Amino acid sequence: MGDNVFVISAAMIPFGKYRTSSYVGLAVSPLIDAIRNAGIEKSDVDAVYVGHSYGGMMTGQRICKEIGLGTVPTVNVDNACSSGATAVHEAWQAISQGLIDVAVVIGVEKLTQFGGGTLPLSPEDREVKQGIIMPAVYAMRATRYLHDTEATPEDLALVSVKARKHGALNPFAQFRKEITVEEVLNARPIADPLTLPMCCPTGDGAAVVILASERARKRFESKPAIRVAASVLHSGHVAEGFRDMTKPEITYDSARDAYALAGIGPKDLDMIELHDAFSIAELIYYEALGLAEPGHAVDLLRDGKTTFGGDVVVNPSGGLLAKGHPVGASGVAQIAEAFWQLTDQAGARQIDDARWAMTHVTGGGTAGLDHGACTIHIFEAA
Amino acid sequence: MTATIEAPASQPIADMETDSLIGNFPEGQRLVGSQCNACGCTMIGSRVVCSSCISRDVSRVALPSTGVLYSFTRIHVGAEGIRPLGYVDLDNGVRTLADIHEGDIPLRPDMRVELDVKDDWFFAPAASDKREV
Ligand SMILES: [Zn+2]
Repeated sequence: MGDNVFVISAAMIPFGKYRTSSYVGLAVSPLIDAIRNAGIEKSDVDAVYVGHSYGGMMTGQRICKEIGLGTVPTVNVDNACSSGATAVHEAWQAISQGLIDVAVVIGVEKLTQFGGGTLPLSPEDREVKQGIIMPAVYAMRATRYLHDTEATPEDLALVSVKARKHGALNPFAQFRKEITVEEVLNARPIADPLTLPMCCPTGDGAAVVILASERARKRFESKPAIRVAASVLHSGHVAEGFRDMTKPEITYDSARDAYALAGIGPKDLDMIELHDAFSIAELIYYEALGLAEPGHAVDLLRDGKTTFGGDVVVNPSGGLLAKGHPVGASGVAQIAEAFWQLTDQAGARQIDDARWAMTHVTGGGTAGLDHGACTIHIFEAA
Repeated sequence: MTATIEAPASQPIADMETDSLIGNFPEGQRLVGSQCNACGCTMIGSRVVCSSCISRDVSRVALPSTGVLYSFTRIHVGAEGIRPLGYVDLDNGVRTLADIHEGDIPLRPDMRVELDVKDDWFFAPAASDKREV
């Protein structure tokens, strides 16, 4: 294993619909705030990593030039919803190998450019040509999960209710009003059994974190920091035939590797920001992340074990369901939430004595794969 | 000058010419599959490389017209009204995404389905499954 790596700063804009902001307009403020909060100068930055999926050529350079941050390597990363977290993984690799000391990571996405509707997927993909959309993928997961387990549509609704409850406490969330199970179930159907509040809203967003080596952190040591205990990136593996959609192997594999790297288990976690793009995902990921045995995720949910006061608070930010899901920004925003929770800066949604946090984000609908990418990070309060 | 060995050029694959999933075979209109002659792996669509052993010795084959519905959904968004879509595990183990026509009996995971071709192709509950009701 390499050198210790720390997150020393985080900033983001509230996720929402910013029709008059470009990628640059979305990202510049959190970029400046993250640098200021870290107590560093532009000249301290050794590299910039930028996660986005729909920003077009040189998105990172377009943003950084506005503040005169240039010369250093700037890497644009596209891994669908995992883009931002993949950018963090790349920064972590460079620092842990001792190649650089300070990296700025930007996650940014402007989905209002598409005027609403589901995410545009690659027209080269076989199943995209047949009409697959991301809500349908998760809906089929849900159909099968409800068929195989005791879970009910009410449980799917309960995930959204929890997300909205958490989101109501989070000034960075797009949806800040609570919702009832009845309201979720009676809402507009999107892809059976999923209704509108069981699907994350699109929107725009930008989040920035700054990573530093132990050596660099000592230079800025008056500031709060968290340690990166694990950073794992996996790609999907093709199945030409049967795949159990309720047991996403890419998340099982990534979680196994992340726990091994961090030297902890699921019971040690105080919070998780997981990829709840659709409510069924949260249940399936409880199991994939080792919180519950396969088929038993609903017990945790119904018993309140995954909300404030429970064993582990899942998506204290409100998750993608309440916060929104500007794909390239989401993974970095999850890490910002972990940073704030583990450094006691989470305000009304602060988890008491939080020490260990996990962030989990998958990405990409591609024929034959569970997901294209999965990134998991584990952080320890430093 | 001594004799030199020239590196052969790799060639692009004209995969955009053959992206239809339905084709004519002696047994009728069937989903198009590809079978690897090296390792036997069967895949959906016209493929030129085996995703298992990377052999390029791949033959075009007709896929079975019957299978089991793994899961399904009805998409309510988009221009086409309500559209049932599902994953079908064909009888040779290959999975395909497919439009599903509903008929009289409600769809459920694990039900038998079979291919039908009208203007377009789709799967519908198999006759054997209909008799159960
Ligand atoms: Zn083969």
